[in-house]
Amino acid sequence: MKLVNLHKTKPMKKILLIVSSFMLFSSCTKDENPVATQLTINFNQTINGSNLYLGCGCLDGSECLENHTCCLGSLPYKNNEGQEYSVERLWYIISNITLHAEDGTNNLIRDVQFINIDDPTTKTLIIDDLEDNNYTSISYTIGLDTNKNISNLYLNEDFHTDMFWPELMGGGYHYMKLEGNFNDEETFYNTHTGGTMGMDFSFNNSNTIALITDATTESVEISINMEVNNWYKNPNSITLTNDGIMGNIQMQAQLKANGADVFTTTIN
Amino acid sequence: MFSLQQSINIHRIVILSIIITTFFSCKKDLIPISGCTDITATNYNPDAITDNESCNYFSTTPYLIQTPNGFPEMDIPENNPMTVEGVILGEKLFKDPILSANNSLACINCHNQTYSFSDANQFSTGIENIQGTRNASALINLGWNNSFNWDGSATTLEEQAFEPVINPIEMHDTWANVEDKLNAESEYIQLFKNAFNIDYIDSNHVVMAIAQFERTLISANSKFDRYLTGQEQLTPSELSGYAIFNSEKGDCFHCHGTQLFMDNDFHNNGLDTEPFLDIGLSKITGNANDNGKFKTPTLRNIEFSAPYMHDGRFTTLEDVIEHYNSGGKYSTTIDPLMKKLGIGLQLTNQDKEDLIAFLKTLSDEAFINK
Repeated sequence: MKLVNLHKTKPMKKILLIVSSFMLFSSCTKDENPVATQLTINFNQTINGSNLYLGCGCLDGSECLENHTCCLGSLPYKNNEGQEYSVERLWYIISNITLHAEDGTNNLIRDVQFINIDDPTTKTLIIDDLEDNNYTSISYTIGLDTNKNISNLYLNEDFHTDMFWPELMGGGYHYMKLEGNFNDEETFYNTHTGGTMGMDFSFNNSNTIALITDATTESVEISINMEVNNWYKNPNSITLTNDGIMGNIQMQAQLKANGADVFTTTIN
Repeated sequence: MFSLQQSINIHRIVILSIIITTFFSCKKDLIPISGCTDITATNYNPDAITDNESCNYFSTTPYLIQTPNGFPEMDIPENNPMTVEGVILGEKLFKDPILSANNSLACINCHNQTYSFSDANQFSTGIENIQGTRNASALINLGWNNSFNWDGSATTLEEQAFEPVINPIEMHDTWANVEDKLNAESEYIQLFKNAFNIDYIDSNHVVMAIAQFERTLISANSKFDRYLTGQEQLTPSELSGYAIFNSEKGDCFHCHGTQLFMDNDFHNNGLDTEPFLDIGLSKITGNANDNGKFKTPTLRNIEFSAPYMHDGRFTTLEDVIEHYNSGGKYSTTIDPLMKKLGIGLQLTNQDKEDLIAFLKTLSDEAFINK
């Protein structure tokens, strides 16, 4: 039917159709119409280089069929002090994620990213139209700096109730909640970091990268990995206890110092 | 095959006969009726031929939710905006036993305003004189929750309201029967018309109205709120309790933090050893890791909403504090936040008294009396 209609079309319309078809075809060529670059940032977590699994975490990465039965009486990970431990909850905030270009441009990718490793939607950040440039480094803040770590500043964000840090301990938000068992299944640690008594224990991480995007780049991928064991390792070897550390300035400072080698960035 | 001309002729004949039929069928209305001819108007008259500019259009009065100091914006479903008409209707339905099979039990009977819209009994009794196994939740600041019931079985207030009406141990009615009863009452027909512009009352609009009313049950005028805005001072004991609550000594704030005094999450707070009598969240998720986890309730008006816990096992706040002070009981899904398991919080009697004094500053007298 369409062909018949086309034959019945007047000559002028025919010409228009042909011209527009040509325009359609030519607009598909890459050099004339640049493609938008999609940036994906993955937030990964490892322990001694292997993917982190919550709970007793079958070491082969498969799900436990029965709760904890695959642990066979032991916890899956070991820290620098030789303590066995597991991770039951890991929530953290990375802010000010910025790409820096050769020409001096600073491209803020994400103001605040909340990551709950049990919620896949929080572990990937997709930016649909990354500005093309020759990016030479990436920087980000672990936690929230003083300008951002303010009570109720993120009232309407989902993490507001999850990461809330009481006013009486300085206000603002937790930077991280890392929790689980240590020694045995009935003993718990809570590694909660934040701005104890209003002090700024957030820190910046900056990595040199080679990320050149141009009109032909369709997608790029960056991974920001947290190596959990390094929180407890260097320069301060930390022993897990069941005491809260939210009011412990010395411990917050130690964890901040240890944080220097916790995060690494890779271009996939 | 018909030629084009033949086809046009056939069409003409069909159209002509339709017109003739139409005229004949209207023959009895020799005098043209005038009225509202706009089908979108509330007083549309299908018999009217001439429009007499009498059309009225459906409109509602927006009900404005005032966001209390330190609260997030309330998440109101786009398909059920808050209206004064909807709230009035919802309140009437909430208090009307017409929703139960024998017209004897209303929502408010188990969600009594005096008790912050909860039940003072451990378990509520349904129309068949059967009791459930969970304590009726306090209905307060529900618009800031993202799941409902102790096990999170409903994700919206609308969805939640469907359930008690047909639950055999609660109102034990059927929605078809409820719809019939409501549609037989001219007052309800008018109220639903006013709120939703519908002529036939259906269950969807019943739960929408109830949900709208529930979103108005906002409590944010406690002594503690007035303290935060500098209008009132707390006593030394209340302040001490506030400090214990908000430090890892009492460690209440991890689940009962922010101005909402809850975290919209589920936890196993160490009430029982396994096997659990009530598996809670995992009943909904099917995930064994969720065994024994229940929704965190707000602590606002906690003084009024005894008894406590999902099964109402504790009759006093003292019992609750004693539970946490004990450190709780071990089970495989106990929350790591219960980090003093086996040791206890080691609160002194004064600490406990102070904590309770602070909890009572969360009472909003005006809310239960208005």
